[in-house]
Amino acid sequence: MNLSAPLIIINDQRFLQHDTGGGDHPEIPARLQAIRQALKSSECFSSLSFLSPTIACRKSLLLAHDENWLFRFEESVLAGQTYIDHSDNQVCYDSFDIACLAAGAGISGIDLIEEGGQKNIFCVVRPPGHHAEQSIPFGFCFFNNCVIAARHWQRKYNKKRILIFDFDAHHGNGIQSAFEEEADTFYISIHEHPSFSYPGTGYGDEHGMGEGKGTIMNLPLSPGGNDTDVMNLLENDIAQKLEEWQPEVIIVAAGFDAHIEDDMSGLQYSTELYYTLGKVIKSWANRYTDGKLLSILEGGYELRVLGESVEAYVRGILEE
Amino acid sequence: MYILRHMTPDPITVSPKMLLPEARALLNEYHFRHLPVVDEHQKLVGILTDRDLRSAYPSSIISDSERRLVYERVEETAVSEIMSTECVTLGTDSTLDDALFLFDRDQPGALPVVDNGRVVGIFSIRDLNAAYKTLFGVGEKGAVLIGIHDDGSPTIMTRIVTLLEKERIPFSRVLRIFDKEVGDTIYLRINTFKIAAVLDLLEENDFEVKKG
Repeated sequence: MNLSAPLIIINDQRFLQHDTGGGDHPEIPARLQAIRQALKSSECFSSLSFLSPTIACRKSLLLAHDENWLFRFEESVLAGQTYIDHSDNQVCYDSFDIACLAAGAGISGIDLIEEGGQKNIFCVVRPPGHHAEQSIPFGFCFFNNCVIAARHWQRKYNKKRILIFDFDAHHGNGIQSAFEEEADTFYISIHEHPSFSYPGTGYGDEHGMGEGKGTIMNLPLSPGGNDTDVMNLLENDIAQKLEEWQPEVIIVAAGFDAHIEDDMSGLQYSTELYYTLGKVIKSWANRYTDGKLLSILEGGYELRVLGESVEAYVRGILEE
Repeated sequence: MYILRHMTPDPITVSPKMLLPEARALLNEYHFRHLPVVDEHQKLVGILTDRDLRSAYPSSIISDSERRLVYERVEETAVSEIMSTECVTLGTDSTLDDALFLFDRDQPGALPVVDNGRVVGIFSIRDLNAAYKTLFGVGEKGAVLIGIHDDGSPTIMTRIVTLLEKERIPFSRVLRIFDKEVGDTIYLRINTFKIAAVLDLLEENDFEVKKG
């Protein structure tokens, strides 16, 4: 393992073991294979180093989830259930362990940043996490990988002013639920308008509650929303908010299902937009967090373009 | 659909004899905008709103001496002198639809709910929004609304519902809306992430899915 590589990809063959039952389920192991393949043949492959995560311990999971949910999830898979609560949430015998491993990726990444002198970490994991609530799975997600990472950063390294930026096509309801009443965390999400898209949350007028008032920024785009709309948000609304908020750490919920070829949303992003997103987000890291950046894979389901979209994002991050 | 299930029961009420500073403190403390005013038998005699109070208190642009004079008067004024006595009310057998019509017609902020003249609850425009949000599933996590062109066929509703049930697609609401401008539409609230697969299924079965 080359720890002097400019970007560490945290990934593991075991992520392929989370079996969602075949059929028409879009969240499949081939997603990670497509990404790995695209990174392997990328011109920036020599700048990457691949590393396995450590499994998240119970204590870390409990920073974001109820103990009851941990028991229920584990018991459901051991009892041979094929899904939990809703047929979207397909599981297999190994799913609990693999979800713990996916949750551990962010934690491993943060430890590498804080104790190993790394700056760029991208966790290429499944199952995804941003729809998972404290005690309920939603939309293919069981543990909220981004929230668990945020909590780790807060508790172990005493970081304040946590930012999660989410460019998945779908609103990260689980992240908003976790953050919306807190003053020290900020959630910015660009997603397809909830009237037209799963999970039906993330309206633009939700800004947080109580102490968390003003710490949620939902930026819904109408179906057909494209690169120009995103660039406009990045350069204006978001840039201004970041200047006010001055994040101490940045976590990116990196979903690639807003691509025009991906039918999981009506958004129409190009592959090149993901390159720009990588570049812009990296510039935020340079400005606010001494270049430190943790990205965690969320959605992206069209195998023909998922690999190239992730590769474009990685290229963007690496471009200085 | 009855208002009794959606109202705030046993609201804080005030006596017509209460002086304005005390009423204002109540509104500020609980962040209410409406206080039903009742007599000793809990019978509704009026309603006091934050707007009534604002009008009674001195304007911020008058001089200090004038303001002091107005304050002195306000502090000795009873609720009965500024409350509205012509109140629109709901009864215990009123429905959400009754409330919607009243809010639409008279535009009050909240309606007292009375039983034989006695106040048993209050129903605000916020309660109405919450009730209709629940009814239609707006903002429900994990759900999304899709529209299908209604060709007027006498069996279209049956065919849609049968297809969804056969394919085990969870759904929670089916609404048929006749609309000359945008065309008759059947709206389905489906509860799945796999929206594209549902749209494909509907189209394969000759239903026309509306975009946007």
